[in-house]
Amino acid sequence: MKKKARKLTPGIVVRRIILWGFAVWCLFPIYWLVNMSLKEAVDAASRPPTFVFVPTLVNYAEVIQDPRVAGFLTNSLIIALAATFFGLLIGAPAAYVLARHRFRGDGKIAFWILATRFTPPIAMLIPFFVIFYNLGLLGTHTGLVIAHVGINLAMIVWILRGFFQDLPRDLEEAAFIDGAGRFESFRKVILPLALPGIAAVGILTFLSSWNEFLFSMVLGGNNVMTVPVGIYAYIGFEQIEWGKLSAAATLMLAPVLVFIILFQRQLVRGLTLGAVK
Amino acid sequence: MGKRPAGGSGRKASWRRERGHFILLMLTPAIVLLTGLILVPFVVGFGLSFTDYILSLPPARFAGFDNYMTLLSTPEFWGSLRVTLIFTVCSVVLQTAIGLGLAILLHEETRGVPILRAIYLLPMAVTPIAAVFTFRMMFNPSLGVFNHILMGMGLPPQDWLGTGNMALLSLILVDTWQHAPFILLIIAGGLASLPGDPFEAAKIDGATPWQTFRLVTLPLLKPFLAIALLFRSIDAFKTFDIIYVLTSGGPGTSTTTLNMYAYKQAIEFVSLGYGSSVAIVMLIIITIVTQLFLRRSRLLTVAES
Repeated sequence: MKKKARKLTPGIVVRRIILWGFAVWCLFPIYWLVNMSLKEAVDAASRPPTFVFVPTLVNYAEVIQDPRVAGFLTNSLIIALAATFFGLLIGAPAAYVLARHRFRGDGKIAFWILATRFTPPIAMLIPFFVIFYNLGLLGTHTGLVIAHVGINLAMIVWILRGFFQDLPRDLEEAAFIDGAGRFESFRKVILPLALPGIAAVGILTFLSSWNEFLFSMVLGGNNVMTVPVGIYAYIGFEQIEWGKLSAAATLMLAPVLVFIILFQRQLVRGLTLGAVK
Repeated sequence: MGKRPAGGSGRKASWRRERGHFILLMLTPAIVLLTGLILVPFVVGFGLSFTDYILSLPPARFAGFDNYMTLLSTPEFWGSLRVTLIFTVCSVVLQTAIGLGLAILLHEETRGVPILRAIYLLPMAVTPIAAVFTFRMMFNPSLGVFNHILMGMGLPPQDWLGTGNMALLSLILVDTWQHAPFILLIIAGGLASLPGDPFEAAKIDGATPWQTFRLVTLPLLKPFLAIALLFRSIDAFKTFDIIYVLTSGGPGTSTTTLNMYAYKQAIEFVSLGYGSSVAIVMLIIITIVTQLFLRRSRLLTVAES
């Protein structure tokens, strides 16, 4: 069907209009955010809003020089990287065992892992808040890293398990014949082969932590503000700061956009929790 | 030294003996962490819901079912349950209709599909706060681009977030922008994995496109639709970012969902005991819905295959 050169029937034209129309709808807010970030204060507050104007990088210059914004970016980066590292370190071995071994209670573990995906965040947030309050972990990087690992660990294990299951079983067989023990075969044979999957899950974890708002806001407080929390804190002055805020938000989106372009397939698989491969 | 049990060769036996040890060691850190970060908080939250704990007003006292009794007799609770149901059902129905329709169109499309898929992925991957902030600018009654576009088309401008019904509608709109692609991508993935034979058969039998869709496509898609619907419903039920940034539950309590209600009680008013009871009720609702869903469709097995 694909090979045959088809004429443009009205049906195909309508279909394309709908599909690309939806694409425009998906893109429009992102376009508008970038558009606002390139406007001077006068243009940003113009009535009606302008589509055509002289673009300026003033907002970006101001935002980059703002030490608070640099602080937000650093916090976000530290927390997302640490949460990703620890999440993978602890999640990968568990995912491998769940992928390859049948043992008493393995079904229960899988169920609990999925259950955490379904728990309302507020049910986790309140106890976290109380526990952190008593341990003095509120407003610390450590606290936020712990919380973000907790939020993501189940997802990490679940998706990595799918990736490990995709690896052929003869691999361990071959490693055994070559005289490797179980740990050795995991470390030297399985892990390198699963690297693309691990990278994909790593990116997903990074994005999830980078984008997370509720836990960061409540547990980080005014002490450790990540970018989303920082942006929210300044929305109050929106009339004056639209351009600057848009620039900050655009900067925050930059790594996300890069990841989407580079790892589209893996992201789809991850965001749909392995339902789409 | 007993390293060689009767039977199998030395290495094979040690490989087998290593098994329990291996599983234990590989699994323990994750289990400890999941216990510490999920089970313990859950137990703490459950316990809190039976106390009158208010932060910085210790000591908390055991209050039995007081919180739950208060909850069930508070109009705000029932109001927020109603808002949650309206928001969830409207969002999910709208997103399923859009997602399913577009997935079928996308499946038939031959040109530019990778680009379209990448674009469709954006709303669900992009930082929610950044996107929601943009919507807040666009919803602005006098400076926002939405009213500008409406007036350009000769339609009356709207007070998007200003009145109760309109605010709820705007939230559903933003949620649909963000999540219709989720359903679209799952269904598109499902369509790509369907066998071709039933469609051939339908063609030979001379089925109309609508008949093919209703009698062949839809039944085959059922497991994928079930996953998409379950995940989406539960996530819509838990929505926070969109509502918090756009309306904070207002005007009045017109967009206060259960989640917002729990947040306000627990975090803003630091009534952690009472807030916990709201959260536990949410958890109970989700558990019941999930169980009903799992029983009706063999979801876990599909998710695994």
